[in-house]
Amino acid sequence: MAGFFKVKALEEDKFELVRTAVDAVALVRHVRAGQDGAIVTFDGFVRNESHGRETSHLEYEAYESMALGKMKEIAAQIHEKFAIHRVVMVHRLGRLEIGETSVFIAVSAPHRGAAFDACRFAIDTLKKTVPIWKKEYFADGAVWADGELPPTPPSAKSAS
Amino acid sequence: MPSVVPNIRVKVLFFGRLRELTGLAEEAEELPEGATLAHVFERYAERYPKLVGFRNSMVVSRNQEFAAWDTRVAAGDEIAFLPPVSGG
Repeated sequence: MAGFFKVKALEEDKFELVRTAVDAVALVRHVRAGQDGAIVTFDGFVRNESHGRETSHLEYEAYESMALGKMKEIAAQIHEKFAIHRVVMVHRLGRLEIGETSVFIAVSAPHRGAAFDACRFAIDTLKKTVPIWKKEYFADGAVWADGELPPTPPSAKSAS
Repeated sequence: MPSVVPNIRVKVLFFGRLRELTGLAEEAEELPEGATLAHVFERYAERYPKLVGFRNSMVVSRNQEFAAWDTRVAAGDEIAFLPPVSGG
């Protein structure tokens, strides 16, 4: 029976890649429901400097179909690990100006502990596993952000 | 009589700095059946030698799952070479 609720939960979740301003209010509204007592949100937005250089703007690109798939996997993981209700995860692509939201995550739950833990896990895991890339533009040039290598199987032969 | 290894078609994608380096976002490629993801990379490294320097700072995916370099490709596979991710 627990499995049924988890499947239903994923159906109520929302995962999006957008190219216009993130509508945080609508996303928070999406996760809020009668059975919930808490919503925890993460709003990641563009900082005005990076490594001591003044940032002009950022650009994000994604392997879109795989990124959405990985976001759904993260949601499945947090449903499994934490007693939460709904999840929304939205990442914006294209050009972003200073202060604009690049990623927004909201998690609702009956109790706040699970919501905090799930939201933290979701953003930490997104930053390590979702195929999205950030390019930082400065007055005098641009660099791709260093990034993290996602975990990969060491060998095809080790797969059962 | 020597056996002829049939060729298979796959799709190869590049992202981020790898896309900039090769100038390629997406390409159809023909390979001998049984080739591994490492073999696919080697083909591109021959055409774009600068890729060699990034070999240890990239991952490869097959049909949208991160994969081991010694994974064999199959006809119709979508392969992607991915720099370290920096979303969020």
